[in-house]
Amino acid sequence: MSKEFSVVGPKVYATIRTGIPVLGDLKITETLVVTWIVMLIITGLCIFLTRDLKMENISKRQAFAEMLVEMGNNFVRNNTGSTKFDKLIPFVSALFVTSVVSNLISLTGLRSPTADLSTEAAWALVVFTMITATKIKTNGFGGYLKGFTTPIAVMTPFNILSELATPVSMACRHFGNILSGVVIDGLIYWALGLASAALLGLIPGAVGDFLSKIPILGVGLPAITGVYFDWFSGCMQAFIFCMLTVMYIANAAEEG
Amino acid sequence: MGIKALLAVTAENQALVTVNFWTLILQICNLFIQVFLIKKFLFKPINNILEKRQNLADKAIKEAREAKEEADSLKDQYESSLTKAHSEAAQIVSDAQKEAQTKADALVQDAQKEAADIKARAAADIEQEKKKAINEAKDEIGGLAMDIAGKVVEKEINENDHKKLIEDFISKVGA
Repeated sequence: MSKEFSVVGPKVYATIRTGIPVLGDLKITETLVVTWIVMLIITGLCIFLTRDLKMENISKRQAFAEMLVEMGNNFVRNNTGSTKFDKLIPFVSALFVTSVVSNLISLTGLRSPTADLSTEAAWALVVFTMITATKIKTNGFGGYLKGFTTPIAVMTPFNILSELATPVSMACRHFGNILSGVVIDGLIYWALGLASAALLGLIPGAVGDFLSKIPILGVGLPAITGVYFDWFSGCMQAFIFCMLTVMYIANAAEEG
Repeated sequence: MGIKALLAVTAENQALVTVNFWTLILQICNLFIQVFLIKKFLFKPINNILEKRQNLADKAIKEAREAKEEADSLKDQYESSLTKAHSEAAQIVSDAQKEAQTKADALVQDAQKEAADIKARAAADIEQEKKKAINEAKDEIGGLAMDIAGKVVEKEINENDHKKLIEDFISKVGA
């Protein structure tokens, strides 16, 4: 057990040299690999849940799948107050479930893809594009540009700043919460490892040397702190991200 | 440029807080692939089945409504035919009563006529009998008168000569 504590970024498994300047090399990172695992899990779950669907006498599995779909429908419809945004339902659901599974996959010992800012930045960029596209579609391109000068022309730089702050804040909020979970989990494991080493190191001789390498105190307490830092935080951030997505797009669709 | 130059297996770590361009691009692609997959494998089949069930329920409701309408119309029909049957029955009864009345009247009339006939015939018979009796009595009286006259006169009177005389007498006396 090291005396030093450090939190590192995702592992880079391989680098594909693209030879493109500025953009740099394509790095196959832990983030991407775990994201693919997450996608496999979600897709497998979807296929499993929707096996032999029936009209009547439905199985518990089908009832659960229908409940999930209804939840997605209701989430978008309740937060936008209309059925205008039904096209968003699969997107928001995919965002939510990917976020939740990515956040919770850290419980298995894998590194969360959401503990990499690139992931949240990607999502926030997509959401930002959708918000902007909705605004332009609602007010026209001229109306969209004119919207920056409200209420007075002096406000334009601030409006642009606040517009750009939307994706940045969304990405950083999610990333920060998950990263803080990673850091705190790491700290707790590290501290408990140190504590158990110190405790078991009291046993003299080779037995003590051997036992002190096992972080025995690491069993139990992380599971309790994990309820908040992994489970609650993970679900909460996914929910907040999706909620903001829906609200921003619904707001963007309003004339103004 | 060999494969080694293109691909390098590394064991380094990315910086903790950084945005990697390629990761970002790939994550965007991953997100859209996930949207597609979730749409294809969860939303499409489930929404399909929900819609089917909705249609089934709608159909059942529609069918029930149609059945009710049909039942209502049948009820109306039955009620009207029942009313019609009632009036027909009343008609039949009144017709029958009328006919029976007519028949009874005719019977009574016939009976009365017959009785009258019988009475008339009886009266005619009586009249005839009376006439017959009177005639017989005339004959008897005529015969008797002749006998008496013969006995009184003691001489043979020509019966035929006198018979006319006597009959004239009797017709003056009787009738």
